[in-house]
Amino acid sequence: MNRIVVESATKRFGSGVLTVFEGLGLAVRDKETLCILGPSGCGKTTLLRCMHGLAHLDGGRIVIDDLEVRAPRRNVAMVFQHFGLMPWKRVSENVAYGVELAGLPRTTIDERVGRYTEMVGLTGFERSYPYQLSGGMQQRAGLARALALEPDILLMDEPFGSLDAQTREILQDELLRIYQQQPRTMVFITHSIEEAIALGDRIVVLTARPARVRDTILVDIPRPRTVASVVAHPRFVELRDHCWRLLRERLVA
Amino acid sequence: MTVPRVGEVNARARPISPARRWWRARPSDWMVRAASVLAVLGIWELFGPLLNPIILRPPSQIFRAFVDLIANGELGVAMVQSMRVFGAGLAIALAAGITLGIVSGRSRVVYNVLDPWISALYSVPSVALVPLIAVAFQYSGDAPRVATVVLFAIFPILINTQQGVRNVDPGLLEVARAFNTSERRLWGDVIVPAAMPFIFTGIRLAIGRALIGMIVAEFLVGLAGLGYLIIVYQNTFRIDKMFVPVIVVAAFGIALMGLVQFVESRVAPWTRREQ
Repeated sequence: MNRIVVESATKRFGSGVLTVFEGLGLAVRDKETLCILGPSGCGKTTLLRCMHGLAHLDGGRIVIDDLEVRAPRRNVAMVFQHFGLMPWKRVSENVAYGVELAGLPRTTIDERVGRYTEMVGLTGFERSYPYQLSGGMQQRAGLARALALEPDILLMDEPFGSLDAQTREILQDELLRIYQQQPRTMVFITHSIEEAIALGDRIVVLTARPARVRDTILVDIPRPRTVASVVAHPRFVELRDHCWRLLRERLVA
Repeated sequence: MTVPRVGEVNARARPISPARRWWRARPSDWMVRAASVLAVLGIWELFGPLLNPIILRPPSQIFRAFVDLIANGELGVAMVQSMRVFGAGLAIALAAGITLGIVSGRSRVVYNVLDPWISALYSVPSVALVPLIAVAFQYSGDAPRVATVVLFAIFPILINTQQGVRNVDPGLLEVARAFNTSERRLWGDVIVPAAMPFIFTGIRLAIGRALIGMIVAEFLVGLAGLGYLIIVYQNTFRIDKMFVPVIVVAAFGIALMGLVQFVESRVAPWTRREQ
């Protein structure tokens, strides 16, 4: 069953001068992690923003659960590359932000903040301000804020892109573990091939601008996974080489 | 690839504050400061009496004048008169400045309506407009002096608030949209807190300028307050007494700056990192 369908989506910037993507189509299945992999600047983030209704297409359409996307929805949550935490809110207040706006009762909010703060490993830091946390911990808070909404769909915009390599791998493992606890539909933007293979059930490889779907790859590595188990899997190297060739074709051309 | 984080964008957009963070000083800093003050006062006390008393009196005489002026009630009366004007003027300037700053920061139309007036009035040295205020308020009561304080204080707070609102991190505005923030919550959750460091910088600048406005108004407009005392004792060659209101104003200004910084550290603790 498809949760998200993107049909011949087109987006232009600068009153039509710059075509970011054109005639782009893909589908995200229920409870799968779809990684969108593409070179820097190919419009991956713009596509994700369109999926959440934060930006609008110039052609085509995006449908979530049979309804065309026009504005952000309550059952879809987003995690940002820049974390997007409010510097003036404590960790618990940042985590509560989405659920408060959803208008849930106070007891539910408190219960969810507690549960998801614990799930991302931030227990004990509820009263800290973001500036007192490392980048990795800030993104844990960003993740908890999205998870607390208990969304059907998670949109992840290169969430670990600005973290150092070790922190990134730790958070990738956390995300795999959280998926194992609560499988949900996820779209994960990345420019890292390893990350796409580790996290994705399928990988959509985009071309350089104007972006199109170059190929869709099935990641036939069984769950439950950890980053280490994926890298050690015999399919990993083949998948990585395959992705790399697809990306390189366009870079060389 | 280095990506600027939200906090860093904010830090860069922060205006330069003229006020230093006093409580950050180490004990050794305080000793140097105390030594500096004591050395100057000591030299003044030793060599001051050599000068004509019309030009300068030593600190001990100024201290005696201080006690005299408190004892005969002159200083108390002047302080009440000055503080009344200063308080009213600063309160009006802050209320109007923050309100207009927020509205003009978010509305293009209001911004364009106000901008030529703000630019014109801010470019003219405020002192040049004081005679106009005196005539407009017919030299009567506190009104012209309060108006002068407002004129001096309103622009830094208005302009800083406006800049704070206009510089809200677009990344955070997008986060707010992504979580379906209502316009009302957007103000409380994002815009006003984001502008807070700018607003406090504006308040600090406004306090300094309000004190100038108060003294200038008392020089030029009304026969009252600490500024008037300065003029009176200058004209009667009582330099020792003339220094008393000057010291009071200085102490008041320093105390108020400290108070504002304390309030900021309570109201906006997250700005502590940006020092």
